[in-house]
Amino acid sequence: MNKIINEIKIALEPLKIETPALRQIAVVVKPDAIHNSLAYFRQKGFTQLSIVTCIDWIKESELELVYIVLSWTEGIYIQLRARIDREKPVMVTATDIFPGARYYEREVHEFFGVDFLGNEDAAKPLFLELWDDIPPLRKDFDPQAYSDSKFPMRERGNEFVSEFGGNK
Amino acid sequence: MKEVKLFLGPQHPGMHGNYSVHMYVDGDIIEKARPTPGFLHRGFEKLMERRHWMGNLALIPRICVPEPDINEFVYAQGIEMLAGIEVPEKAHWIRMLVLEMARVMVHLMSLGFIGGPTGMYTATYWAIAQRDLILDLFEELCGARVYHMYIVPGGVRKDLPEGFTDRVLAMMDELEVKIPEYEELILKHPIIHARTKDNIMLPAEVVWELGVTGIGMRSATGEENDLRKVMPYAKYDQVEFEVPTATYSDALTRLNLKVREMYQCISIIRQVIDKMPSEGPVNVPVSTGNALRWTVPAGMVYSAVESSRGEYGYFIVSDGKEMPYRIAVRGASFPQGLLGIEKYLKGHRIDDASLWMDTMGVCSPEIDR
Repeated sequence: MNKIINEIKIALEPLKIETPALRQIAVVVKPDAIHNSLAYFRQKGFTQLSIVTCIDWIKESELELVYIVLSWTEGIYIQLRARIDREKPVMVTATDIFPGARYYEREVHEFFGVDFLGNEDAAKPLFLELWDDIPPLRKDFDPQAYSDSKFPMRERGNEFVSEFGGNK
Repeated sequence: MKEVKLFLGPQHPGMHGNYSVHMYVDGDIIEKARPTPGFLHRGFEKLMERRHWMGNLALIPRICVPEPDINEFVYAQGIEMLAGIEVPEKAHWIRMLVLEMARVMVHLMSLGFIGGPTGMYTATYWAIAQRDLILDLFEELCGARVYHMYIVPGGVRKDLPEGFTDRVLAMMDELEVKIPEYEELILKHPIIHARTKDNIMLPAEVVWELGVTGIGMRSATGEENDLRKVMPYAKYDQVEFEVPTATYSDALTRLNLKVREMYQCISIIRQVIDKMPSEGPVNVPVSTGNALRWTVPAGMVYSAVESSRGEYGYFIVSDGKEMPYRIAVRGASFPQGLLGIEKYLKGHRIDDASLWMDTMGVCSPEIDR
């Protein structure tokens, strides 16, 4: 594993590299280096993209994209992370390297509002039908307030209780 | 010929959960297919951010209905990675026992539900009845049949009941007798055989393209790509088991691999019971005082497990507070359930669509979350 870390340090010049757990390496790079890094890992035998996801760091006004790749031969996970601007989040698609990224990117777009350049599907709705609010997994989205405004409580007296005889 | 749009699901006897596929058909050949998930979207990832670390234990098993234990395990494992908790020896073995019993259960269910798309409901009745007997064991273990909430951060909730291992072993003996009967009934049945043999192919290059894991991957590539072998968790490095593989992946091969994996599960369970220490603690207290006020050190970690359908993982982010900052769920059936349906369902017959979903291992609740 140390050998792989040293190779990554030389090849990608990451901002930060650490081992959060056994058999796991976290690599933080600049957002414009994501595409090259993914291509590097793909070529190094990390053939599987396990997930593409996002974290909303609302205090820093940043979104952090996370790509997790796995090498079946080495048995090592890589978390590749990069922070992008929260107001205009844009990232280059990874579908040319990992075709399986297509729906993950679509999901991240739907739940965080990140635009993926080159993924023509990414803007289409997937899970949420007729969504009309900010992307729901962002931290400033309040599901309680949303459901209260969307589905207001009905005013009800206690007539319906007496109608069925009440709770005697 | 005029193109017809056909909706398969969300309610359909052969459909797996509330999932829908919009198919554009020409005759009975699918020309184009569009997966339409979201019917089971309950916003788990958002809900988890609004609950305490311990409170989430009641929520997470519901992400994957047929196999809830993997959720508990990846969640507990992720927290243990972040907080540096050492799990007691016995708890590891009990966890393996639970995971393998769950795996047998899911394979039975999956084999049985082949009856839906093929119209042979006897298979369903037999296999689900057998699964129910395993659920009885779970009920004895933790009081719940489907959602167990038994694996918790720091170990397992309680020690095994007295005589439990004997009843598990008896069940395994029974299964060993019954599985050949199911094989006879399901895999050798002329209709199911004809429907699945050389049908619904999954070539190795498609596996790499989509990122399919689990039985789908192993049946096509012939490689032993199983997380239990590649990066052993719990005590999987101390038991001996084989990972069944094949190099020609049609639907029948994948069903066969499920059966062969069930035999391996039985063997693992016997070894686990044999090697499990009889004494010792089964959990370590993770917090002093109020468990709801318990905090997990800040960090980000990806915790994964080999489920019956492939790699299942949680990406857990903690900011050191009482609730998770973010948890992302990697459902094992995400690749084949979405991109797989869009790209590779076309060219099949309409009646093979639900067979496609069954043998590829598509579980809709874990796609929708």
